[in-house]
Amino acid sequence: MYEEPYRWVEAVGNRRTYLDEQFKQGSPVVALTYDGGLALVTVSKGTPKLYEIYDRIALGGLGHPADLEKLRFSLLEMAHTEGFNRSPSDVTGSRLVKYGMAPVIKQAFEEVYKAPFILKVLLAELGQKPEKDTLLTINYDGTFEETTGCAVLAATPAVQKEMTSYLHQEMSSGLSLAQAVATALRAWALGDRAQRQASEDKERGDEKPTPAAKPASLDAASLSAHLRDRVVEKTIECAVLDRNQPGTSKYRALNQDELGRLLPNDLKAALAS
Amino acid sequence: MGMQGDFFQLLKEQGYTLGSSAQVGSGQEFTTATTILAFKYRDGVLVAGDRRATAGNMVMYDRTDKVLEIDRHSVMAIAGVPATAYEMVRVLEHSFKYYRRTQLQELSFEGKLRAVSKLLKDNVSAALAGTGAVAPIFAGYDFEQGTAKIFFYDILGAEFEGVEYAVSGSGSPTIRGILHYVNTWGEQPLVALPEEQATIQALRLLTSAAEFDSATGGINREASLYPIIKLITGAGVRTVPDAQLKPLYEAQVLRHV
Repeated sequence: MYEEPYRWVEAVGNRRTYLDEQFKQGSPVVALTYDGGLALVTVSKGTPKLYEIYDRIALGGLGHPADLEKLRFSLLEMAHTEGFNRSPSDVTGSRLVKYGMAPVIKQAFEEVYKAPFILKVLLAELGQKPEKDTLLTINYDGTFEETTGCAVLAATPAVQKEMTSYLHQEMSSGLSLAQAVATALRAWALGDRAQRQASEDKERGDEKPTPAAKPASLDAASLSAHLRDRVVEKTIECAVLDRNQPGTSKYRALNQDELGRLLPNDLKAALAS
Repeated sequence: MGMQGDFFQLLKEQGYTLGSSAQVGSGQEFTTATTILAFKYRDGVLVAGDRRATAGNMVMYDRTDKVLEIDRHSVMAIAGVPATAYEMVRVLEHSFKYYRRTQLQELSFEGKLRAVSKLLKDNVSAALAGTGAVAPIFAGYDFEQGTAKIFFYDILGAEFEGVEYAVSGSGSPTIRGILHYVNTWGEQPLVALPEEQATIQALRLLTSAAEFDSATGGINREASLYPIIKLITGAGVRTVPDAQLKPLYEAQVLRHV
């Protein structure tokens, strides 16, 4: 049935619709630079979404946990054999994405008889110098992007855009870790709210979101309030690639105590519940 | 498919072999020209080693680092053929990292010990041929038992626990006797020594080894050449900087006759 080119294009189109549907409930992931390195933040339920890949590389994922595990293992295998056979400084995020992940994900996406990867991935790489810090994102169809400063994963490109523009607006150079975490969590709340709004709108059948709801909602208090509502029975997850960490491995997952100390007062309540 | 998270297995699947498969029993003498030592002190374990690398009676290099950090909580001190020893350290370093990152938990101390003896066992043929003999000391912090521990190995991979101390290398016979004497009849046993006293003890022991063993490098003040001394506690591994060793050496080790 797929021999005809048109059928194939149609099938790939159907996959997009199917995959977009899968991410609707996903929890966004935020990564941004702070004065000591890079921080990754998300809110997870049950399975963790932030992982250590190599000495200076961290991963954040959105999507199906089993697919994420599969990809994480192949990344770990590639990074470690490369790091052992060549040297740790030859393991770069950009090569992992371009030669390791992107072709595999793209192929799985386009082979319409097989199951695609239900995931979006963010790789954060701590450079030897702060200006070399990179953030890479890869979509379920294998397209990837390389940025600096901040990057996000969310259900739709529209939500991602909304989150990044919020981050650009709120971020200044030399953020402390506490400031970075607070900003990231607000961006998360913004993304999560936009995703929920979009799916509610869709259920109600109006394609266009109500324009009146938008302008008032960017203030910190309303975002914190949304976060408090949504974080119940979930865990705030935060991991850093800390430039000042002694030794070669720069990855560190923040435990709940540490996170509790870092959060501003209006968000502390969110964690306590 | 090997065990989950086994990096060494992964390497082998890709055709990697540790050490050369040299002819067994070519009858070379095993050279372990060096002195490494480890003992328990008040806060944890101290591991120290001299800096000399030799080939026969030639001094190859006087700034070798024989006390190597495998991860934040474990250290391997090496005696034997450096090429093989450094390779083992590289394999171990990547194995522990790979395990932690894939399995999302730290490899247990027992597991780390097994990894060391497995590597030594795989290396037996090279060890017997005289091209790759390594007799290391492995020390680390065991979180399950809340204490730092010392283990030493023979070249075939047999594992022994150094309850109070362990030594290896050509200079070790000299200091083994001293350690026994100091620990039994000294003012206080090694395990009661505070950090500074333990460091002084290590400097004295290595100086004694260098006195009687030509393959052990002594302390050279003019070249500011000091041994490598690392301390393992629950907080991790810490290297005692030369700036700290220098005054201790001058005040507590050096004797003007």
